[in-house]
Amino acid sequence: MSGQAKRLKSHAKLRENIQSWLIMLPGLILMTFFVWEPLFESIRMSLYKTRNVELVRFVGLDNFASVTGKDDFLQALQNTFSYTFWSLIIGFVLPILLAMLIGETVRGKSFFRTAVYLPNMLPGLAVIILWSAFFSGEKSGVLNILLGKLGVSPQSYLTHAEWVIPIIIVIATWKGAGATALIYMAGMAGISPELYEAAAIDGASVPKRIIHILLPAVRKLAGTLLILQIISVFQIMYEPMVLTKGGPDNASLSLMQLMWQYAFGGAMNYGKASAVAVIVTLILLVMTAVYSFFNRKESDWD
Amino acid sequence: MKKTQRTGVIREYDMHSASVKVGYGFILLLCGLMVVIAVFPLIWVSLAGFKDLKEFVSSESIIPQSFSPEPFATTWSQLGIAKNYLNSLISVVGSVACALVFNGLLGYGIGILKPKGHGAVKRLVMLSLLMPPTISIVPLFMNIQNLRMGNSFLPLWLSFGANAMYVILFVQFFESLPGSIIEASRIDGCSQLQTFFRIVLPLSKPICTVISIFAVNAAWSDFLLPYLVLRGAEKQTVMVRLFVFSTEQTVNADAMMRSVVFAMIPPIILFFIFQKQLTENAVSVGIKG
Repeated sequence: MSGQAKRLKSHAKLRENIQSWLIMLPGLILMTFFVWEPLFESIRMSLYKTRNVELVRFVGLDNFASVTGKDDFLQALQNTFSYTFWSLIIGFVLPILLAMLIGETVRGKSFFRTAVYLPNMLPGLAVIILWSAFFSGEKSGVLNILLGKLGVSPQSYLTHAEWVIPIIIVIATWKGAGATALIYMAGMAGISPELYEAAAIDGASVPKRIIHILLPAVRKLAGTLLILQIISVFQIMYEPMVLTKGGPDNASLSLMQLMWQYAFGGAMNYGKASAVAVIVTLILLVMTAVYSFFNRKESDWD
Repeated sequence: MKKTQRTGVIREYDMHSASVKVGYGFILLLCGLMVVIAVFPLIWVSLAGFKDLKEFVSSESIIPQSFSPEPFATTWSQLGIAKNYLNSLISVVGSVACALVFNGLLGYGIGILKPKGHGAVKRLVMLSLLMPPTISIVPLFMNIQNLRMGNSFLPLWLSFGANAMYVILFVQFFESLPGSIIEASRIDGCSQLQTFFRIVLPLSKPICTVISIFAVNAAWSDFLLPYLVLRGAEKQTVMVRLFVFSTEQTVNADAMMRSVVFAMIPPIILFFIFQKQLTENAVSVGIKG
């Protein structure tokens, strides 16, 4: 009797499990089609010679050799690291500062929060086109108008090889810094004001309170946001594509842009494009691994 | 407690010191400057839209000579932006529906039903968060071509049904729901699917609102996959059109600026309606970008 009840129960349990999987199935199929399968497919494709959407024959690492052997690859690799470098210089500390500034205000806090978040909502493509007029080399370029008032003669900003990458990072920071600042603000809101109060009574000055209370409290968050920022900047693509077409003379060409060019820039060489994509993925994986290694070490110490 | 309580590093008592007072004034000044920097480009581009081509390329003033809305109307009708708006609307509506239903159901499975083996799915979804979406755009585009889904909104809609971030947000929210309510509904004889639509979804309005806002914005702003998929002029969305303008340089600079304004208006409206939800939930979703 009890055996039968058990069997019935396990039968019901099995049915429930099957039903649950059926409910998840549509989502799983979509994840497979849009996310998981393309990832493996891009590894497979990078090993094949392709013609349009067909895989012609297995060529081993030929695509990789051919892609990395070209000058534009080395240039793009170097540029991509340069993007990352500049984004750390310009875009990493700024959101922390913004969050600290807004956090200190008494009135108008929500107004400031709203204002800095606004650029993040705008379509990235529209933002880039808007800023291209800003940095336009013509006399009617907005920056030239503004700096003209200070007596600076008109400059052609986007044709200077050493300026384009910082300029693109400035634009990306304009769009994204406010949203990141709100994340830091949430982190800082977790610090009890009593802690500052106690430090103040002990005679700690404002800068001391920042160094000893505020900054340590957001250190872990800053580490996480740092790696996310590096991962996202490493994939920079449409910004240089639209703003400078990778120019002048490939000075702003990024790795992902190189991938796009192989695939959709007329050559339709999907095999080589996939080889570039795989290289970018590998670099990102190494970075993530290094990050989690250091992160684990740190939490061991805690 | 008053709402204007100081929560920052500077305490009320510091304000007696003159140097802190000056510093606080400086902070307010910097905050003001920050607002100007965030908003000025938008004001500028709207003003630039009133200029005709000649004025746009030659004028050294930011204020246009006239504020007649005519240039906007001309660009709107000449370029046929209304059609692109309609296409964007179609793309957005379908994308939001897919984002809610498919990610919601998957999240329901992982967060509430938890069948045998759901842990593996959860880990896979978490891992896909780290994988950049553009990396696999080439094989994805090939898959879409192979299934003959080119030049259709369908793949764009469905792509929003496969968003790891949205799944995780759903899972986190569902896990916070009281289990007793769901159990009660099961005891009342509701099937798993009925429980989802009758009990779980109505309780999940906050998370659905947030995901909808972000999906609307993402679907509106997206242009790389839409550009590849919607090749024909018939189905181009606003952003695809703008991308075509920028790569082929077929429109004049002044009309381009007006197109930028057209592309920004809906997100800005969305922003002002939902600014509270957006700035408060930026934390959870913001991590993504």
